[in-house]
Amino acid sequence: MLLSKFQTEVEEILSHYPVKRSALLPLLNLAQREDGFVSESAMRDIAKVLDLTPPQVFETVTFYTMFNLKPIGKFHLQVCKSLMCALVGSDDVVRWIKTKLGIAPGHTTQDNNFTLSVVECLGSCGTGPMMQVNDDFYEQLTEEKLGRIFDDLARDGTCPLKTGPFMYPLPLAK
Amino acid sequence: MAASTTTDMITLTIDGKTATVPKDTLVIEAARQVGVMVPHFCYHPKLSPDANCRMCLVEIEKMPRLQTSCSTPVAEGMVVKSESSAQAQDARKSVLDFILANHPLDCPVCDQGGRCDLQDFSHEYTATTSRFNELKRVFQKEFFSPLIETQMNRCVQCLRCVRYCDQVMDVKALAPVGRGTLTEIKAFGTHELDCEFCGGCVQICPVGAITSRLSMYEFRPWMLKRTDSVCGFCGDGCQITFQTKNETLIEVNSTHGAGRNNGDLCARGYFGYHVSVHPDRLTTPLIREGSVFREVTWEEALELVAQRLSEIKTTHGPDAIGGLITGRCTNEDVYVFQKFMRGVIGTNRIDSSVRYGHLNGVHAMQRVQGTHRWTVNFEDVVSADVLLLVGTNITETNPITGLKVKEAVKRHGAKLITIETLEPAIGAISNIVNLSQHHLGVKPTAYGSAILGMLKGVIEQNGIDPDLQTMAPEYCKDITAHIQAISWSEIEEQTGLTSSLFEKAAKVFVQGLKAVILIGSGVLRTSGGFGMTVNLLDLLLMTGKLTKEGCGLAPLAEENNDQGTFEMGGIGAMLPGGKSLGDTEARNMFSQAWGRTVSDLPGSSLPQMIEEATNGNLKSLFIVGENPLASLPPSSGIHQALGNLEFLVCQELFMTETAQQAHVVLPACSYAEKDGTFTNTEGHIQPVRKAIEPVGESRPDWEVFSALSVGMDDPMEYLDVKEIGKEIRNLLPGMRTLGPAPLPAQPDSSAISRYVNSDYKRDLSARYQLPPRMSSGQGHVVLMVSQSLFHSGKFSLKAKGLMQIQSEGKLFLHPKDAVRLGFDEGDRIRVFNGLGEVYTKVAFRERTPEGVVVFPEHFDREIRRLLPYTVDPETQVPYCKLAEIQLGKIVAS
Amino acid sequence: MAQYEKILLKNMEQPGYTGSLADYERADGYQALRHVLKEMQPDQVIEEVKTSGLRGRGGAGFPAGVKWGFIPKDHPGPKYLCCNADESEPGTFKDRQLMERDPHQMLEGMVITCFAIGAQTAYIYIRGEFRLGTKILEQAVQEARTAGYIGENILGSGLTVNIYVHPGAGAYICGEETALLESLEGKRGMPRFKPPFPATHGLYQMPTVVNNVETLANIPHIINRGGAWFASIGSQPKSCGTRIFCLSGHVKRPGNYEVPLGIPFRELIYDLGGGMRSDKPLKAFIPGGASAPFLTPDHLDVKMDFESVAMAGSMLGSGGVTVMEEGTSMVWAALRLMEFFYHESCGKCTPCREGSSWLLQTLQRIWGKQGRPEDIGILEELCGNIAGRTICAFGEAEVAPIQSTLRHWRDEYETLIREAQATRPRKKDIPVFTH
Ligand SMILES: Cc1cc2nc3c(=O)[nH]c(=O)nc-3n(C[C@H](O)[C@H](O)[C@H](O)COP(=O)(O)O)c2cc1C
Ligand code: SF4
Ligand code: FES
Repeated sequence: MLLSKFQTEVEEILSHYPVKRSALLPLLNLAQREDGFVSESAMRDIAKVLDLTPPQVFETVTFYTMFNLKPIGKFHLQVCKSLMCALVGSDDVVRWIKTKLGIAPGHTTQDNNFTLSVVECLGSCGTGPMMQVNDDFYEQLTEEKLGRIFDDLARDGTCPLKTGPFMYPLPLAK
Repeated sequence: MAASTTTDMITLTIDGKTATVPKDTLVIEAARQVGVMVPHFCYHPKLSPDANCRMCLVEIEKMPRLQTSCSTPVAEGMVVKSESSAQAQDARKSVLDFILANHPLDCPVCDQGGRCDLQDFSHEYTATTSRFNELKRVFQKEFFSPLIETQMNRCVQCLRCVRYCDQVMDVKALAPVGRGTLTEIKAFGTHELDCEFCGGCVQICPVGAITSRLSMYEFRPWMLKRTDSVCGFCGDGCQITFQTKNETLIEVNSTHGAGRNNGDLCARGYFGYHVSVHPDRLTTPLIREGSVFREVTWEEALELVAQRLSEIKTTHGPDAIGGLITGRCTNEDVYVFQKFMRGVIGTNRIDSSVRYGHLNGVHAMQRVQGTHRWTVNFEDVVSADVLLLVGTNITETNPITGLKVKEAVKRHGAKLITIETLEPAIGAISNIVNLSQHHLGVKPTAYGSAILGMLKGVIEQNGIDPDLQTMAPEYCKDITAHIQAISWSEIEEQTGLTSSLFEKAAKVFVQGLKAVILIGSGVLRTSGGFGMTVNLLDLLLMTGKLTKEGCGLAPLAEENNDQGTFEMGGIGAMLPGGKSLGDTEARNMFSQAWGRTVSDLPGSSLPQMIEEATNGNLKSLFIVGENPLASLPPSSGIHQALGNLEFLVCQELFMTETAQQAHVVLPACSYAEKDGTFTNTEGHIQPVRKAIEPVGESRPDWEVFSALSVGMDDPMEYLDVKEIGKEIRNLLPGMRTLGPAPLPAQPDSSAISRYVNSDYKRDLSARYQLPPRMSSGQGHVVLMVSQSLFHSGKFSLKAKGLMQIQSEGKLFLHPKDAVRLGFDEGDRIRVFNGLGEVYTKVAFRERTPEGVVVFPEHFDREIRRLLPYTVDPETQVPYCKLAEIQLGKIVAS
Repeated sequence: MAQYEKILLKNMEQPGYTGSLADYERADGYQALRHVLKEMQPDQVIEEVKTSGLRGRGGAGFPAGVKWGFIPKDHPGPKYLCCNADESEPGTFKDRQLMERDPHQMLEGMVITCFAIGAQTAYIYIRGEFRLGTKILEQAVQEARTAGYIGENILGSGLTVNIYVHPGAGAYICGEETALLESLEGKRGMPRFKPPFPATHGLYQMPTVVNNVETLANIPHIINRGGAWFASIGSQPKSCGTRIFCLSGHVKRPGNYEVPLGIPFRELIYDLGGGMRSDKPLKAFIPGGASAPFLTPDHLDVKMDFESVAMAGSMLGSGGVTVMEEGTSMVWAALRLMEFFYHESCGKCTPCREGSSWLLQTLQRIWGKQGRPEDIGILEELCGNIAGRTICAFGEAEVAPIQSTLRHWRDEYETLIREAQATRPRKKDIPVFTH
């Protein structure tokens, strides 16, 4: 059972709140980090820990877009398509990905490496077009950049092009 | 709702009308009171406001924008405009347009059509979808459950169902899934609904999104005939409305605000009504010929019964004949039955299902406070500040009383103390101990010890009422002495609970201003039941609560008319009105009124009749709606007893185990086919009304007794039920409690002083010692045979809806025990003890504590062979619900 | 080009500044907290913030000091502070920078705020997608705890404040303060109707203050340099201090710019932002995030303060300024935003829930050359039937793009519809309505 595996982490989380149910999103995050999605058994386990019924957990899970109820690829590519990114070419990004990986939004590559989603604003409107891959942001995307990112990810599981602590524009060196 | 505390009044105007209402009233309710109906979907008086549908918008002077009247409390001088506000009317029309835009408009095939809020409002506001040229959302149809159907395309997302399931039922089985317009109501994942099946979501849905499968597509509401009556299952006595289409039962529901249940029902009330129209119903009288039954006419059957009873009476005397009647019959049936037995036959050998446990409660109340009824009612339960539940899985035995407890705790913050075997654990069915602040979890054999623990807790913190100490110093001294003679370590040893738990709980109880104690089968039907009940009355007395307004003891009646059956004289030793047979004055009164002498020979209880029959003194039994062969275990000797009888008559709905032994079987009407009254657990007498014609040739029970009296040349004739009712009320003036709510009985001070001055001594030391423990040997567990939420006696096994929820008995045990014993869910296992062995399936339930297993009594045909049988020395109540057993895997040999 | 003193971005723009506790302390970090604990009473802090005229930076622009003043002093139970770090308003990305580059600045602000309102527990509700920000904040909290700025008996003063980082899970609406509270309670993030307000019935029904990241980051500076000093910046009396504007869209140098409230849009877009990215002229801009009505080139000289922008028929909202060049279809722009609002409506209120899908589908048809003459009338009516009739301000927000583009560029809608009437509809263009 997931929660016995992360005993200490779970207890730490629970200690943050006077009311158990508040730990629901954090625990679901934990579950998803472990399995890549939120499984039924995870929901049941979490319900037990928080004194909730499984439907109470389920209703909450389905309200939030970050939780997947089904397994997905190793890398979840989420391309922002909201107006600000669209103005600077997010539709091209989706097109490029289609040609490079041969997947349309909502689909996963044969090798189960990449799943493509088109999502709403991720809060990097000034540095679009952008995408989130698992935990990391990749911004000011170009076709070349994309190619390199996919190669690196497929090879090393990570890519140096990801954004670090955010600041833009960078101060002009005095 | 609760009798609310000090309310200053507030005056406001709504559409020009002046309303004066208590503060905190919501505008929508204030409007209702002055006849202004504000249209709404999501608001419901039973639920906390959510203000999501936006239909109830009103204009309020000095407020910027339109306000939702369902969430806005009244304020002094407020000026509200509803119909008189063009702006509000326009907003409502637009809300309807929005809803209709995504609504399938499939009214012609919708069961709600004709009683649908959306239809009505659309008509009122001439809303249309004419301008909507887009695609409607479509949810693909998924199987929801065998009894409840969802049509999410019709949903208006008011979330009433979800909120009801959580706030009122505390079940939380419904989930609004997804976000925005594509939100739909589901259970869990793709699983079908698993819940209490109270039908509340169906009843509270303002449109046709959630409907009952039992009546799907069978009707249009306006074709239905409505008959208000009372549910025939448990003692809560819910008001139900039978909906019939020319002689067929279509559905049952209950109007919001109606009856003691305020429109709430449980699965039995809502889905159990097919019991009346089951194909197995007996439709003609039957006479045994050798090993088979022959269908006969009523004349022939009645003649034979009358003749045989007369013969036995003349040859062996009236006391050779006994009568047994069920607490499911109406007051009028029971009254005429006991009048027939006492007057026409001439015996007091009468007993009824009250004997199975409820009698303990009644006798204890009679002894200590001189009443045979509660001194509280449901309103007192709701407004109590402390509730003590002892030995009752209230949700499963008395679900609606359970709702009152939930309301008191969840809405009004009452403190809940539970002395229960169930452990806190979330499950498909709500669990009252989850709401308990002071849960004293004990084995079903340790309730007595736990009660003594509470008393000790009270005494040790000087919780004894000073007035009582002056009024009855000796009583206080004696009880204290006996309690102090029992050490905490003994109590802890027996209950497995620390003294501090008892002290805390006792403290809370003592501090309670309105304290109600509810007790169930765990006390009433368990060895020592009478003593435990009296001790709980001691607890009320000692803390000065017995005579206090809003405080009292509430023994829960299991069958729909247990209380009435007692009050109508369904117990041999007790004349109608709860008067003792020994009371000469009373006896003479009835002898006179009936024109027949009532014998002064003591009646006898069912256990005694079993003995009498076994040793040949009882020759004949007239059994009405009772099925002792199924209610009592073989260890009671019932089989032999019935076998010995010369003549057994059964008046029944179905061919029960007992009826199969009968010489004559007479077909009776069910509660849906007759008029009369039931008295609920509170002592509230409510009208039962005929909804359909009698099935086959079945007849109301009282008619049969009356016909028999004629056959025995001693006619007691009645035109109709009303005439019986009149006779009863003339003899027992106290019996007039028809009306919205019962007036609780008042404790009788003379009875109390009799008790505290002498009577308590009688069995003091017996009551104030720890009960003997079951010798829990290695590998032994305690078997509890108890009531399930989805059934009532064996009766409900004929209700197709209920059988779809629960169709077989499984042995419930804690997963840990299962692991220890190597069982998997669904395994068939061996259950055995000295009395025998049986095989059954197991199911896991976290709420059953380790070392205890639970089996639903309705399916105990096999397992009751393992139940030992003892009888209460004082009340003659048979105890046969607990056993020491062992469990084993089935080893293929 | 005019140079303005930066307050919030000052530290992080120093070369080599990492945002670590050490760096922050070197830049006089946590001096304000020390001062408050030594010298000030809670009420004095609230007064100081009132004097500063600081208004909420999250969108509603409510005066922070006044909001704190609503917290009942004599409340027996616990009180809470929630830092709103949900930053989900399209066009906004300032909180992200404040959190990832100088976390202690806002943490210090939070501890001071807790002291002022008497809260012992504070939660940072950060949008779930900000994984990096979450990690950085958690480290910062840990650092501050070890250094004794957070936790029990802070700096020996007896003050206790615990701060926890609570990531969301993808729901724009959880930025709305009451939805945030519901979400923080582990429920579906659906706004509550008001009253009662969070100040009295907030988290767990206890008195609660919800403030935006930027709002809280300003607090230490107000303490250090005084409310009067802060009030002297920007355009008095109602728009004091600086604000970080998030510039995006068709400009040369998008990004975060901290300037005093009240400079004209032209200066932000052309001087700081370097003007349009290509030769195409500016056609439209959104002054305050997706929820703010569009403005036109005629509004370039409007001053960027709460009142002036309101006068111009829009709002400063979350400070997200999005610029669009000539050739951008306003119907398309409105459609893109409508897709967002449809996707994010929590679905509680009928008008917002059903209206958003109705509006979206109508726009999709118009853009897909399937428009009908009556559609414009329908759009206008629907907008009118949503705004002002819902629980939260999302209702107003979702209609803003359509209403404002209809106001300024109605002809673009009409043209598309005219073309639609001319060309017979081609089936495959009909947009399918999917989630
Ligand atoms: C639909 C909606 C979304 C919002 N999103 C955010 C948000 O992402 N971040 C934020 O700080 N405030 C957001 N707000 C404003 C908050 O409701 C609240 O006013 C603000 O957090 C108060 O903090 P402040 O006074 O410091 O601005 C949103 C409001 C609405 C109606
Ligand atoms: S206006 Fe929209 S987003 Fe806000 S509460 Fe209502 S439905 Fe939810
Ligand atoms: S009834 Fe008031 S909003 Fe639904």
